[in-house]
Amino acid sequence: MSTYKFAIPEIIFGRGSLDFVGVCSRRLGASKIFVVSDPGVEEAGWVDKVFAILRQEGLDFVYFNDVVANPRDYQVERGAALYRETGADVVLALGGGSPMDAAKGIALVVSNGGRIQDYAGANQVKNPLPPMVFIPSTMGSESNISQFTVITDMERHIKMTIISRTLVPNISITDPLLLGTLTRELIIAPLFDSLAHAVESYVSPIANPFTEVQSLKGLDLLIRHIRPALETLDMDDLEQLAIAGTSSGMAFTNASVGLGHALAHALGGMFDVVHGISHALLLPSVMRYNLPACTKKMATIGRIITGQEHTTEEATALAGIEALERLRDDIGIPTRLREILPDKTLLPKVSQNAEKDICLLTNPRTATWKDILNIYYGAW
Amino acid sequence: MPHVMNLDDIIGIESIKLGFFKEVQRKISELKASNTELEHKRQDIQAILDGIPDVMVVMSMDFRLLSVNRTFHVVYGDVEPVGLPCHQVFKGRNEPCSPCPIAQAMANAKTVSRTLQIMHWNGENRQVECTASLMKGTGGNPDRILLLQRDVTLEKQYQARYFQAERMATIGILAEGVAHEINNPLTSIRGFAEALNRRLTALEEITPKGEQGAALQADFHEYLEIILKECSRCSDIVQNLLTFGHRDTKHLAPVNLNDVVANSIRLLHPRLSTLQADIISLEFGEQAPLVLGHPGELMQVVLNLVLNALYAVQEAGNITITTLVDGNMALLQVLDTGVGIQEEHLHKLFEPFFTTKPPGKGIGVGLSTCYNIIKKHGGDITVQSEYGKGSFFEVVLPNLAE
Repeated sequence: MSTYKFAIPEIIFGRGSLDFVGVCSRRLGASKIFVVSDPGVEEAGWVDKVFAILRQEGLDFVYFNDVVANPRDYQVERGAALYRETGADVVLALGGGSPMDAAKGIALVVSNGGRIQDYAGANQVKNPLPPMVFIPSTMGSESNISQFTVITDMERHIKMTIISRTLVPNISITDPLLLGTLTRELIIAPLFDSLAHAVESYVSPIANPFTEVQSLKGLDLLIRHIRPALETLDMDDLEQLAIAGTSSGMAFTNASVGLGHALAHALGGMFDVVHGISHALLLPSVMRYNLPACTKKMATIGRIITGQEHTTEEATALAGIEALERLRDDIGIPTRLREILPDKTLLPKVSQNAEKDICLLTNPRTATWKDILNIYYGAW
Repeated sequence: MPHVMNLDDIIGIESIKLGFFKEVQRKISELKASNTELEHKRQDIQAILDGIPDVMVVMSMDFRLLSVNRTFHVVYGDVEPVGLPCHQVFKGRNEPCSPCPIAQAMANAKTVSRTLQIMHWNGENRQVECTASLMKGTGGNPDRILLLQRDVTLEKQYQARYFQAERMATIGILAEGVAHEINNPLTSIRGFAEALNRRLTALEEITPKGEQGAALQADFHEYLEIILKECSRCSDIVQNLLTFGHRDTKHLAPVNLNDVVANSIRLLHPRLSTLQADIISLEFGEQAPLVLGHPGELMQVVLNLVLNALYAVQEAGNITITTLVDGNMALLQVLDTGVGIQEEHLHKLFEPFFTTKPPGKGIGVGLSTCYNIIKKHGGDITVQSEYGKGSFFEVVLPNLAE
């Protein structure tokens, strides 16, 4: 790999940086802003806070909150219809991965036409999108940084991954204060998503020196601050986790992710499983599967997780994977697939879907649907 | 997905975040192209409009001009009419016409209406057919008026000429009929008068000599002579009528202008008998002017000129009709000491429908018909006049060489 690429949005970070949302939108040419969020974020009061800032800036806006976890194709279509009907301009997303991915889908459909399904895959976007200002209310998706959006095709029960540099928001505003209203339970799933981003982007065959440093920085901060943050919900720890999320986001938007995301997307498409929980369940298994293809890198990961070096790289790597499993057990989240799925009958279908996921391209080791089914069975 | 994705697709070195610069450029070039296309269409339509030989004007509902075609400028000159009210542009008035013919016509017709107006175009009075129609705007409601002005002078002229020709033909047929009807009894009268004349000697023989008898014979001589003379006059009139009525224009014959003048005067005899005796004097040149032409048409010219002169002199004045040969030209001149013609009317005299006579006295086709007849004979007709003093018409025709 001799030619690298590293592309990220303008990133604004810091406590209270939410206040810049109005002026940033205005600079992008906003006169009627299309705000996308969800009821959970509304409940925390952040939606009203954003409205107040926009009003203060004298900006008109339209509000769309018909978004659920694993946002759906028809929700994108409804949002696009509202956008067109109201003559909105700048798209402002506030929330976790679901509102942000939905907002990207809406911005894509209103500017490129057709249905969201038309753009599945890489680089299918042909026209520029409305300017986008994204504010994450939690880490984990890093949709505010990434060139990805993931939308559920309700007919085929699959999560479609859409990749395009044009999907990178214009401005990302990360205000760690927004993490302050989250409960311990709400933070757990996103943290495992971030861990998966850091690990998978690092072992990706298209990782480069610019992404690798961000992957490892993100992993390091996550490992240091997950336990204390979950114990005390201290703002200093939460802020470090927000940096960790942003770092891993900068890594995976350029290096992409791998098998773990293919497995999580397939499960989420079929069962509406929370994305981060899928990672918590499957990440160690995926790392074990990939280990032979990237032992050296897995050892580096193990060293960062455990702070220890063993006699062989494989041993160091395995120690890291076991440490992750312990972390998962300590936190007290489901450890077996059977705890969250009704039965095994759909696993072959899910495996076949996962085999087609675009994230599999950037996995260090190839995997057939049978390899994938084997992993699912192992995690049952 | 159109093709199998590979790692390069995900790295996307060449795939950049699309901005609006390219989009705007594309839009601008699209707009430019469509603008050029529209401009071509507009020029096309303008070329069509400019090619129409009628005046076309689009006006606002309050009768102000919005746009005009090229013919407008041909007719109304180099004015900049946009924004001006129509009465100012078309009639040179400062106030709206009362009543406004367009408004009147539109009120009655609702969509399209026609009116015929005499308008002053390029220094001439022309008959103009004005067509006004309402133009629908974008909302489907009429918001402008399309006004077409077509010069129909020539059409009207042909129409008038046609009617005149029809009338003359009818009169000709009538005259011919009357002439034939009169000719027969006239022949009888003449025959019997001549017979009587021949019997005068016999009458003398049986008439007792003496003063009484001589007086009786003298009366018989004189009366018979008068009857024969009047018969001869009647015969001439009938012959004239037959000539005038015979309008076969293809048949050209040598015509002596002096005869034409004499015959015309003879036809006018009833009219002239009510006026002073010396109102018309004839001055025929030594050489008789001979013209290859149509005697009836030439007589129409003389009649017209003389009738005009009579109208001009009213009851007091003189008319002198002169004929002469000047080189290869046969000249006919009609000089009167009547009211004359105003200078500004002089150049319009031979135009159709130009008349200074009050309504009912003439429609202004007489002199224009004369003009056409003379032109057809290869000649010309001119006028000189001093207002208040009189007029001098001169007809020049090619003299027929022996």
